[in-house]
Amino acid sequence: MSLTKYESFVREPLVDGDKTYSKVTEDIVYTIEARPTRLWYIGLYISLALLLFGVYSIYREVTYGVGQWNLGKTVGWGWDITNFVWWIGIGHAGTLISAILLLFRQGWRTGVNRAAEAMTIFAVMAAGQFPIWHMGRVWLAFFVMPYPNTRGPLWPNFNSPLLWDVFAISTYFTLSLLFWYSGLIPDVATIRDRAKTKFRKLFYGIASFGWTGSTKHWQRHESLSLVLAGLCTPLVLSVHTIVSFDFATSIVPGWHTTIFPPYFVAGAVFSGFAMVQTLMLITRKVMNLQDYITIGHIEAMNKVIVLTGSIVGCAYLTELFMAWYGANVYEYDAFFRYRLAGPYGWSYWIMMTCNVVSPQLFWFKKLRRNIEFTFIMSVVVNVGMWFERFVIIVTSIFRDYLPSSWSLYYRPSIFEIGFYLGTFGLFFTCYFLFSKYFPVIAIWEIKHVLKTSGENYKAKMEDLEKISAEEFYARTHQH
Amino acid sequence: MSQKKYWQNLGELKNTEGYQKLVKDEFQEDLPFAEDGKGILDAKAPRRDFLKYLGFSTAAAALAAGCETPVTKSIPYLNQPENLTPGVAQYYATTFVAEGDVVPVIAKVRDGRPIKLEGNPLSFINTKGEGTSARVQASVLDLYDTGRLRYPVEVAGKELKEMPSFEAADKKIAGELSGTQVVLLTSTLNSPTTRQIISEFLAKYPGSRHVQYDAVSYSGLLLANEMSYGKKAIPTYHFDKAKVIVSLDADFLGTWLSPDEFTSQYAAGRKINQKNPEMSKHIQFEAVLSLTGANADDRYLHRPSETGAVVLNLLAKLGGTVSAPAIADEKLKKGIDQAAGLLAANKGAALVVCGSNDPNIQVLVNAINELLGANGTTINWANPLLTRQGIDGEMDQLVKDLNAGSVGALLVYEANPVYNYHNAADFIKGLQKVKLSVSFSDRADETSALCKYIIPHHHYLESWGDAEGRTGFFSLLQPTISPLFKTRYFQTSLLNWTGNNTDYEDYFKNYWVTKLAGQGAFDKALQDGVVEPAALTFAATAYNGDAVGDVASKLNTGAPAGKTELVLYQKVSIGSGAVANNPWLQEMPDPITRATWDNYAIISYAMAAELGIKLDDQYEVEFHKPVVAFTINGKEVKLPILAVPGVHPNVIGVALGYGRSEGAGRAANGVGYNAYPLVSAKGGARQYYVTDVTDYKKTKDTYDIAYTQTHNQYEGRVEVVREYALDEFKKNPEAIPQYREELAEDFAKKTGDFRAEATLYPVYESPGAHWGMSIDLNACTGCGACTIACMAENNVPVVGKNEVKRSHEMHWLRIDRYFASYRDNTEGDNLNVVFMPMLCQHCDNAPCENVCPVSATNHSSEGLNQMAYNRCIGTRYCANNCPFKVRRFNWADYTGADSFPDNQHHNGVGKLDDAVLMMNEDLTRMVLNPDVTIRSRGVIEKCSFCVQRLQDAKLEAKKSQDASVIRDVKTACMQACSAGAIVFGNVNDKESRVYKIRTQEQNQRAYYALEHIHVLPNINYLAKIRNTGRPVGVKDEFAGKKAVSPEVHH
Repeated sequence: MSLTKYESFVREPLVDGDKTYSKVTEDIVYTIEARPTRLWYIGLYISLALLLFGVYSIYREVTYGVGQWNLGKTVGWGWDITNFVWWIGIGHAGTLISAILLLFRQGWRTGVNRAAEAMTIFAVMAAGQFPIWHMGRVWLAFFVMPYPNTRGPLWPNFNSPLLWDVFAISTYFTLSLLFWYSGLIPDVATIRDRAKTKFRKLFYGIASFGWTGSTKHWQRHESLSLVLAGLCTPLVLSVHTIVSFDFATSIVPGWHTTIFPPYFVAGAVFSGFAMVQTLMLITRKVMNLQDYITIGHIEAMNKVIVLTGSIVGCAYLTELFMAWYGANVYEYDAFFRYRLAGPYGWSYWIMMTCNVVSPQLFWFKKLRRNIEFTFIMSVVVNVGMWFERFVIIVTSIFRDYLPSSWSLYYRPSIFEIGFYLGTFGLFFTCYFLFSKYFPVIAIWEIKHVLKTSGENYKAKMEDLEKISAEEFYARTHQH
Repeated sequence: MSQKKYWQNLGELKNTEGYQKLVKDEFQEDLPFAEDGKGILDAKAPRRDFLKYLGFSTAAAALAAGCETPVTKSIPYLNQPENLTPGVAQYYATTFVAEGDVVPVIAKVRDGRPIKLEGNPLSFINTKGEGTSARVQASVLDLYDTGRLRYPVEVAGKELKEMPSFEAADKKIAGELSGTQVVLLTSTLNSPTTRQIISEFLAKYPGSRHVQYDAVSYSGLLLANEMSYGKKAIPTYHFDKAKVIVSLDADFLGTWLSPDEFTSQYAAGRKINQKNPEMSKHIQFEAVLSLTGANADDRYLHRPSETGAVVLNLLAKLGGTVSAPAIADEKLKKGIDQAAGLLAANKGAALVVCGSNDPNIQVLVNAINELLGANGTTINWANPLLTRQGIDGEMDQLVKDLNAGSVGALLVYEANPVYNYHNAADFIKGLQKVKLSVSFSDRADETSALCKYIIPHHHYLESWGDAEGRTGFFSLLQPTISPLFKTRYFQTSLLNWTGNNTDYEDYFKNYWVTKLAGQGAFDKALQDGVVEPAALTFAATAYNGDAVGDVASKLNTGAPAGKTELVLYQKVSIGSGAVANNPWLQEMPDPITRATWDNYAIISYAMAAELGIKLDDQYEVEFHKPVVAFTINGKEVKLPILAVPGVHPNVIGVALGYGRSEGAGRAANGVGYNAYPLVSAKGGARQYYVTDVTDYKKTKDTYDIAYTQTHNQYEGRVEVVREYALDEFKKNPEAIPQYREELAEDFAKKTGDFRAEATLYPVYESPGAHWGMSIDLNACTGCGACTIACMAENNVPVVGKNEVKRSHEMHWLRIDRYFASYRDNTEGDNLNVVFMPMLCQHCDNAPCENVCPVSATNHSSEGLNQMAYNRCIGTRYCANNCPFKVRRFNWADYTGADSFPDNQHHNGVGKLDDAVLMMNEDLTRMVLNPDVTIRSRGVIEKCSFCVQRLQDAKLEAKKSQDASVIRDVKTACMQACSAGAIVFGNVNDKESRVYKIRTQEQNQRAYYALEHIHVLPNINYLAKIRNTGRPVGVKDEFAGKKAVSPEVHH
């Protein structure tokens, strides 16, 4: 397909193929209205099975104690908090795509923002499980809430980063959910309008909050989107900053590091985008949405990955430099003796390879646009990011100040693994249900870009192509 | 509206000023300290807010009520006993007696239950202090041992048939006894009344005899003293009077004779007076690193079979007329020269002790001590020790007689030869030939299970009785609780079978009332617990050196032949194994290996290398240790190994006291390997070593050893451990104060006050008390008595081997042990060992406090870092952020205090050992201290500085309006420390010991662990000083290099 005269060399079309408004609706709503495929059922059942294993693992932990996990006197946080930070990181891409990219007017976000936002919400839900269930007495978890009480009143400790976490994450979750849901309303209304069964009509009717598509509705909707985007933007940066405070404000060598906030945010975006890639590549294939999630989208996200991966790499090296330059033996030992080497040395090098070395391959355009390679890389990056959190958490505390308390080798118990798998179950169960019952691509936003993109748009330009450049200039500048 | 007014008293009616004050102060009474805090009724939330929040709390309570809490019933007294206020402890003087050991103690009794023991400070046996050993501390738990028999039984095969009554038993046994020759087999008995009863009993059955048998024999020492001094007795030793102490294989601080007394004496000589820094010099010759060796200034290695050669050489060097075999090992030779030189220069203030059970060697040691003028100075014959009297030959003769069938009846009391006699098979064969065998053991242990009847004896805390630990030093036992079970005095049985129907209780009282000439004196003696001379006397005894030449030639046998040798040692915790069913002791980490719940083979680093065991990170962080097959005496023995530095390359060490049978109890059952069969008998004397280890090879098997400390070096972290050689300290005594000044310059430029400048948070004053502790690393020997005292005082749960293995042990106080070798020489004589008691440091700028999301851990106005267990939700953030790693999390329901009932019985991950379940039986739980909350699953706990004792002292001070009561308050660890290494007190009180130590007496050695991170601990340590010419510490590697740059840790 050769480029026509007035088509950009730099900007690829955001939608491929000959699309009309009704075709867009058909393409996207098709999966919601048709019977689910076999593949969907298999996926859902596997996810449910994982979720059940997770529920059993938590049951064991709540009934018999945190001793069901292989943590000990020195390593008090292991897989639990590693997974928490990992999932929270993943939950960063959605809001970044929808809020920050909206503010920056990045048109390409339309193809991926809905699924990415859904993913954010599910990832935050998965993440939230860990700080809750890692508590020794989870039935008293409400103690962290600042509510008036008859114990004095006794307030939570506002100095504690864990308390900041409670606020940061709940705020983030609430706003992300609102943002996602408000974006869904026009599309839900579309489905409602097409619905043929009573139940469907009722369900989507309630879910669409009486949306009629009036200009006033659209105007309010636009304003709301902008306000929420404005509110979400600082949150994208603040949530992981505050999560990093859990470590940065402590005195443990390897945790006590001022570089953590930016480093954590970059890492979060890095892993979030990788997760979006993983999901999108599968979704577009399974649901036949290649025209909406184009190779251009994939490349754009790969660029974000190589950028944030490099920032993260820079942070790793800065940490090492400071550990040496700071001349603090405790910090030096934590990094050079027990992180780069020592029993967990392997995890450090997995992290380095996955997060710093391999994303550099995305400097090659060919690889950026290669779907299989992107898929593999997206998984590799998330493996790397999991190890990053493991390295930070476990390899810092397993050998800290007093050598007498240095830890034994920490490996997870079956129920720690089960809990992690359970959150995968939760995440994918939610994602499968979402992809079945809600449009995975924002229909109204695609229609919005369709005015300037797609074969249909090109067809409309045909007569423009025929005329001479001067005439074209005159026509387009006649006002 | 009605004008009626209801009133309770006239004050309320008239609302006088005095009444208003009374209302205001109803619950608020200030301590005798000046304080101007607001009363609780001035708080801002008024009572009527209560209703407003009621709705919410009801909902919350309904939610929480979903979890059923187990119901425990408490039944009040029907008749209030006299002199007993529920909730107020009573103290009784009594005496710890076990296997000959005698320690006068004060038992704390709460609501009828003895729950804690302290040494009786009136006794010379305790060197007039309250310190005790771990075993004494733990013995209170033995009272509530579920392994105890609850009634007399007749043994029928494997079955224990209850006997209906003691009368029935007496009838049966007395019938079988009549006209037989009885042998009474006991451990060393030093109770005067019991000895008298025994002699009456033996007289009734002509041809009968009494055999004393000690699980671990001191027969060699007794026989040697007979040869040298004409007395089959053991003198008392005075380590405090010795400027030079040389010990040959004697673990006198851990397990040899009377370790808590020796610890106290030893520490007296080790404490430094900084105005005139001097200390005793201790040289240890041994094969396997012992607790004593770990405390020595210089230490030399030799094979156990070389002890004779070492003694001969030492004797020859000191001028004895013996010919000594040549010593091949250069280092050892140097060591002998050094020891001889120092001993010769300190005649009259020198002491040589030897742990060998070979009478020949002990005769030579006596000769050495004679040359040193120790007889009458450091060795005192005025009041010999009576705690070990067993002679090996007598026991061997008994076994022969049993097999010959010449014994009619065997009565066994406190002896367990089936378990701990080296040739148990012969003993068992003999035992089966005896018509009547009766055991008085409190449980169906190995020997009792093979006897015909078991008439269980009372626990000492249930008993009247007496003991004579040293000639003329009596201590009395009085019951602190009525017998828990249908048990009877062993003495009553003997009296009965003698035909005397007196109960032992009356017999005992009559004996003492007569002896002390009057009921009043007897009452006083009971109250004091001891009847001892007013002052210690010192006396020498006549020495006879005739045997020296003869034994010297016997010992001069040339170099050892075998490739490898085995040393059988005792652990500080378990000792001979009689207390193996005590979970506190089983879980107490060994001072040297830090291992719990097991024995194993200790090997040297060199042997590990030879076996192809790499001692790398992997070895360090994994519990499963290689199992090595040793060929000992031609038999293959498979044992897991632990490599320990400072062990002779050709020697392995295995602890006695493990491998008990099921009858010993649920905690002891199946723990470790019984090494007693490896004991050899050489010329009638039991030898605790084997020369014949011909082969060893690594097997493919591994075995899990649960140890609590993985890393052994302190990695040059001088902020944690500070140690100096004595000369170095004398030369530069201001090193630590200088370091602290530099820190202050860097971090607290303006005011010099870390507290104000190192924290973001407001600084609160502590106007009343400010609690602080000082721990002298020089005095601490690492014996671990404090850890058990802490467990007993604070209801610290036992978690069992399976959980220790997962780093879930709960000890609030632990003893960190570092092998600090100079420049990584871990093999030889350069090994330095540091013991560092580590507990919550009660930091004034505590990193745990600000990270807790719910303020469950917070700071008191008295400087305590306190835990509100009810508030804790168990995030474990505090534990992660604690630089000292002293916070302990309740990983499972160890105590039965959980909101979820019945959740201790589960399989799979985190399965709780039977020992934990045993600790949760109603019987065992009687040992719990009612003043201390039992922590439930899911909360963090840690040292509280025994806050219950502090509160008690404050109340006492308030009642008596005398603040000096507070000056006497002691934490449990401080009270239990024989060495006096721990000093606790109010640092705001300028007269307190701890204040004086920090600011005047020991300010040159006082340092705070990790002071540079500004957590501001309330515990200071006093640096370790070693009296050695060797380089000490890691000084030159880090000289001039500050550990931290100022900008990093704030």
